[in-house]
Amino acid sequence: MTPCLVSTGFLVLGRCGRASVTACARCGRPVCDRHAVPGAYAGLCPECAAAQGYGTPYDPLWTVGYRGHHSHQTLPAYTQPGWYTDFDDFDRGAFDPEDQADFGDPGDFDDGERDFVDS
Amino acid sequence: MFWRKTRAAIAGFHPLHQKLIWERTLSATLPRAEWAALIASLARHGAVVRRRKWRLPERTESVLVPLIRLLCEDVDRGRVGVTADLRGRDVPGKAGPRQDLPVVRPVRRAQQWWVFDSWLSVRSELRDGSVLELAVTDVVRHRHVVKVNPRGKRKSKTKTKAVQRVYATRSLAKGQPFQQPGSPPPPWIRVRPRGRSRMVIRAVAKLPMPRQADELPLMMTVATELFRWTPARRRRSA
Repeated sequence: MTPCLVSTGFLVLGRCGRASVTACARCGRPVCDRHAVPGAYAGLCPECAAAQGYGTPYDPLWTVGYRGHHSHQTLPAYTQPGWYTDFDDFDRGAFDPEDQADFGDPGDFDDGERDFVDS
Repeated sequence: MFWRKTRAAIAGFHPLHQKLIWERTLSATLPRAEWAALIASLARHGAVVRRRKWRLPERTESVLVPLIRLLCEDVDRGRVGVTADLRGRDVPGKAGPRQDLPVVRPVRRAQQWWVFDSWLSVRSELRDGSVLELAVTDVVRHRHVVKVNPRGKRKSKTKTKAVQRVYATRSLAKGQPFQQPGSPPPPWIRVRPRGRSRMVIRAVAKLPMPRQADELPLMMTVATELFRWTPARRRRSA
């Protein structure tokens, strides 16, 4: 049995875990009959359907979209000890006083076929 | 009789929906499926009822329906209890007694009174065995000042200051693991855990009266703070 891998809950997160009946057409995640999205976004899992746009709270899919929205909105309110470890040397280089106006080597952004100044 | 078709349509709504229209209050403890039936009934309101007098209270769509939806996501066999008083803070009985404040001339009289509007109380039995209680109270301070100028002209003004208090309590199941989060909460939330074998975590927030659209996000920020105090569950994925 392939379990349904749709995330459930808002305060207490978990996986559905019921037997899947289909797979999401976009991300390939197994989906059970309870979480198979009907209507315009049929064939998608709730997360992929909510990414297409979630409507009013009267829509059962609204909670899936709101979960991501709320997480994104409240993240800056919490002090994150690992925040600066997310940046690499390129990100920190913009704040280096000895490296002003240096945006990398000339060939860094050249993909060889389409020149930046070529119209 | 006027509006008879609308009255007949309202009679077909869910009983709690009707109570919300006529009395502007809601008090029920129901399982998840029953709440879904109520929300389905509320969703039909706008298409059926056009009369301004019978429209749903303002906080129904912005707070009540989304909150019920979110709480029902975390309930398996438990129940969600909601008590909402959406009559507003100007109804009789919510204002406290008026106090006279000391004054100096030209002020002749200064009075102060408080309005406590506990408009929302929620209790939810979550699927991890804990119980979440959420309460929201609007506290409004009114000050009325009367002054008289040297020519006897009398002027008065009333000032109000409103804050919203959000109380969230999570009672963990017996033996449920407990850990202090690695980072502090936002400065406007105060958290206090209590107990030993059965922990009770309480978060309190006091905010300047938020805009109606911001009420739910702020309430959920206070509620979600309590869930940082327990380790994440092991996922049941294969």
